[in-house]
Amino acid sequence: MKKNLVSVIVTGALAASTVATMTAAPAFADDAVTIKFGIHVANPAEQEPVTNSIVETFNKENEGKYKVEFVASDTESHSKNMKLAATDGTLPEIFWIDASEAPEYSDAGLLLDLSDFLNQNADIKTALNGMEAAFSDDNGQYGLPYQCNVQGFFYNKELFDKAGVEYPTDDTTYDQFIDMIKKLKESGVTPLAIGSKNSGFAMWEFNEFLSRYGWAENIDKYKSGETPFNNDDLAACFDKVSGIAEAGAFPDNMATIEYFDAKQLFDNGSAAMFGTGQWDCAEFDENLGDKVGFWWGPKFEDSAYDQNIDMKVPSAPIVVSAAAADDDKKLEAVYEFLKFYYGKEAAGISYAGSIFPSTNYDGLSASDSQYAMNSMITALGNGWKTPSAAPDQTLSAAVQEQLYDSLFGVMQGTYSSADALDKMDQAKANE
Amino acid sequence: MHWLSKKRYKIGLTIPTILVYSVYIILPILIAVRYSFSKYSGLGKPKFVGWKNYIRLFHDPLFWSSFKNTMIMFILAFALLMVLAFLVALLLNQRLVGVDFCKALIYSPAIIAPIIVGIIWVYILDPNIGFLNGLLDRIGLSALKQKWIGGNTLTPYSIAVIYFWQQLGYLVTIFIAGLKMIPGEILEAADIDGARPAQKVMYVVIPMMKTTISNVAVLIITGVFKIFEIVLQTTGGGPNHVSDSLVTYSYSMTFSSSDYGYGMSLATITFIVSLLITGIYMAIFRDKEKKE
Repeated sequence: MKKNLVSVIVTGALAASTVATMTAAPAFADDAVTIKFGIHVANPAEQEPVTNSIVETFNKENEGKYKVEFVASDTESHSKNMKLAATDGTLPEIFWIDASEAPEYSDAGLLLDLSDFLNQNADIKTALNGMEAAFSDDNGQYGLPYQCNVQGFFYNKELFDKAGVEYPTDDTTYDQFIDMIKKLKESGVTPLAIGSKNSGFAMWEFNEFLSRYGWAENIDKYKSGETPFNNDDLAACFDKVSGIAEAGAFPDNMATIEYFDAKQLFDNGSAAMFGTGQWDCAEFDENLGDKVGFWWGPKFEDSAYDQNIDMKVPSAPIVVSAAAADDDKKLEAVYEFLKFYYGKEAAGISYAGSIFPSTNYDGLSASDSQYAMNSMITALGNGWKTPSAAPDQTLSAAVQEQLYDSLFGVMQGTYSSADALDKMDQAKANE
Repeated sequence: MHWLSKKRYKIGLTIPTILVYSVYIILPILIAVRYSFSKYSGLGKPKFVGWKNYIRLFHDPLFWSSFKNTMIMFILAFALLMVLAFLVALLLNQRLVGVDFCKALIYSPAIIAPIIVGIIWVYILDPNIGFLNGLLDRIGLSALKQKWIGGNTLTPYSIAVIYFWQQLGYLVTIFIAGLKMIPGEILEAADIDGARPAQKVMYVVIPMMKTTISNVAVLIITGVFKIFEIVLQTTGGGPNHVSDSLVTYSYSMTFSSSDYGYGMSLATITFIVSLLITGIYMAIFRDKEKKE
């Protein structure tokens, strides 16, 4: 009898909750076409606040018509999830993908050719100013730059002053950089914060090194196998990285700290320099304020290649799943979102959040209190040329991973320059 | 309950388990083995490459380094856990004051997620910010400071110690359960015969706990070959894979380098090695049992 009573109560409660859910549902009914946006951070509001603001603004302005929802997970999980979604046909309509992986998606026919979108929106094509070229192949325009990455060294002026070291300039040479490192080290701070644990990708400042040793000029030869990675130019470049390590630039525990820990060292004034990009500007404004400066990196007197190079490059692309074209309403929503994302209003949101958008519109700039971003804008004022893509973004996933491993191997004294470059050749051979 | 003993009912009752086991255990293993013979980036169709991945694997110094690390972790963790977990179980099986509190204390690391265990130990072993080197500094033994993690040598040993710390309580609990199964009369008889405590352990307790010891051994073997989060959290396998275990190296190749075929060949070899070690242990154990 007791059991029967319990059954009746449980069944009644379930039925009541079902009815309540059904009756409540119309109150939340939304006819908006929903599209998914796969993003490479677990918490977009915290970790990609600019993109989050752009999406929120779009959703607000298109309430009841279109809605963008994030599918969010950390970079590594995101990469895995997208591959799994690709195999079972559940890719989000729009998703961020690493530049090294995007061509594979394109070759597999999983991505929508966005040439039509650009042709329909000539103003956006003009605003992108050729930055989209990094993400086109024989299959068409398979992606558009998520943002514009400006990469190099941020430095803490206060720590330089305390150590009696002059701020680096566009003309600072490698030998002067080594002296700078030694003096900073003597002053009791970590000269250059970097962490290798699960953070191989955090080598942005060394993209400038690779570029100044002719990466852009030779990458086609490296990729075709005509010139091995283990060549005089790259060996000299890796030797310079090794020299920085020998001068004591890096934290002793770089193998056990991550990029975020290294950034913390810079934020709290324990490290004088930190290599990163504009995505960290807002954090530096908050922690260092007007003490922050920005520098492209040293010039190399032994290199025959052009040294007047900035690093303002397209970041990894956002791409559209080819399946989005199967549903006219979804495709319309995707195009509307892309129009907004690459429009002037979103570019304004980007600037306000200290992120360089991939588009250029007149009348947009950073405010006076955006110290880190302004220091980058000042650095960009030299008018030097910039590569069409960051060196690490020009490689396949396996060789890119080996480049990261090789650079950190040299920094940590695990590999000689020759070993490190041989490993890249080996990774290329294994493809 | 007679009807349950009929053959057709026995088969009927085991079919769901066999099905679940086949779908979730056997099938993924077979799929992994299949991929290990292919070149596959995770997208499109895998390309059959025969034994190429296995040939590459045996020429890959990083495979041998991760294999060596795994074996160091296995030998050290196995020796520490088998001996100390048994001794601690013997101690905690006594009627002593505070024994229940000690059991809870020793068991507590087993309920902490491995990724958190890794974080805790980073704060102990990190060469710069870690407690251990800090302590050595404070007590004037700075000369003994080491790169416990993140260097080129000590990481696998440190990982084994961390794994030991995490697993000790769990295995002690299994050993205590085994000790409780030994009939009190047998131990009393040994007492009456004048056996000393060490003799009781050697000639009564251990022989009567063979099944428990065997189960614990298998748990350690299979557990060590699955150590993943601790390595990932303490060093990420670095610097430059020198502290990778077979599992983390396989993960790195599969997901960071998008080389699924090679990653699966590493996973297959890991599976075979753990199967072999378990098999060898079981064969020796059964052989001894038969002789006795």
